[in-house]
Amino acid sequence: MRRLHAYNFLLAFVVSATLFLPVPAQKLTNNSAHSAPPKLMLPVKAGSVRFAVIGDTGSGTEKQRNVGDMMVKYRALFPFEFVLMMGDNLYGGEAPQDFEKKFSEPYKALLDNKVKFYATLGNHDLPLQVNYENFNMNGKEYYRFKKGNVAFYSLNSNYMDKKQVKWLEDELAKDTSEWKICFFHHPPYSSAKKHGSDDQLREVVEPIFIKYRVNVVLTGHDHVYERIKPQKGIYYFVSGAGGKLRSGDVSETSPLIEKSYDRDMHFMLFEVAGDQMYFQAISRTGETIDSGLIARKKP
Amino acid sequence: MQARTLRYFLCLGLLVVFASATYAQQNQNAALAPPVVVSAADKAALQLFEKQVNDYVALRKKVRASAPKLSKDSTPEQINAYRTALEESMRNARAGAKRGELFRPDTADYIRRTLKIEFQGKDRRELRDTIFETETQGVVLRVNYPYAQSAELSEMPATLLAKLPQLPKEVRYRFVGRNMLLVDRESNVIIDYMPDALP
Repeated sequence: MRRLHAYNFLLAFVVSATLFLPVPAQKLTNNSAHSAPPKLMLPVKAGSVRFAVIGDTGSGTEKQRNVGDMMVKYRALFPFEFVLMMGDNLYGGEAPQDFEKKFSEPYKALLDNKVKFYATLGNHDLPLQVNYENFNMNGKEYYRFKKGNVAFYSLNSNYMDKKQVKWLEDELAKDTSEWKICFFHHPPYSSAKKHGSDDQLREVVEPIFIKYRVNVVLTGHDHVYERIKPQKGIYYFVSGAGGKLRSGDVSETSPLIEKSYDRDMHFMLFEVAGDQMYFQAISRTGETIDSGLIARKKP
Repeated sequence: MQARTLRYFLCLGLLVVFASATYAQQNQNAALAPPVVVSAADKAALQLFEKQVNDYVALRKKVRASAPKLSKDSTPEQINAYRTALEESMRNARAGAKRGELFRPDTADYIRRTLKIEFQGKDRRELRDTIFETETQGVVLRVNYPYAQSAELSEMPATLLAKLPQLPKEVRYRFVGRNMLLVDRESNVIIDYMPDALP
């Protein structure tokens, strides 16, 4: 009887110890990331321009890798050719191992499949990143490239000096592309409480965007997702939670919000087909946060 | 009696409208921030500042020639080697450099006045708060030594950059709290800094 008590005590101890043992971090995050099966909301039309968007990624965390893995799953359904990065590509240091942990490793499967990344600089990024082979910035802090009927402008919003403003204006003035998309780090419009709208930047760039009929502006900086109500005919997105999240940061009463999400990390997919641009925002776990269609206004 | 009351309210209404218009005008003026008056002494100071910055860039070009080459498609190791070599070579070339050699008193005075005007008004106060929010822990203000790699970089307001003396592409302005820095774009080394630049 006494022996039975001893066994019971031992059994209770083992069970308790097992239950309360610390779970390794990786296991914990994997368990918490219940993935929904990919559900594509984009039409995948022949000849369309397809790309993904990620922002504020460079944390090197398990959750950043989860986002990378989800991008791979969606790419099986939606073979995007390239990825735009909204800045803060590497947080907290830029030694060779940081590039590996915070970029090459989380997106290894995409890089191995020749998906090109086009970066922009955030407030945590040193300017020498422009020379990094996999950021495709060609040694420049601001640059333009074209895919199909879409012109992309990567700007350096950390340092919007006169030279850059002039370059932007000169390039846009001669640009005959049907779609003009600008992407940079600091959002001219944002409903997040931490940073919010960058009024000073907006004062300088918005008149240029309006004058030269920029269609869409993509930004990061605030660690949330937000689709802003069109402002003076331009569609603004904040996609700043690809590797960092500021949960509960969106001010729900903001009049700017068309759609927002601040409960988990995310990435975005875009498809441009003729005069139509389709978009889909997807959470780290594969849930569709937002989707829709933007029709190009003809001049 | 009724006409008198009506006249009273009319006067009061006009007074409110006038006061609101004046307030709005003042705010707008603050937002637009008038340009700084540039005196002959300012011009001389700015010319000297420009010359010193150009001298820095010339020295940098010379030093850079012996640093490892950096292509547009470099590896992280190449970037790191380039940054370190540039930083060390420039430190040796500018051994003995001291604070205030580029931001001399006259230049600093002009820049402080520019900042004071630019940061007036309600919306500019918010801008000042944004600069102070920048996480710059770990940054040691020391001429000829790098800005801490792990620290955030403050965004330089576009409206302000349009008013400050223009810099060549190799050199940048940056804020750390109330201090204004002049940094090397590539090596991230602090070339000079000006304490209490922001009002």
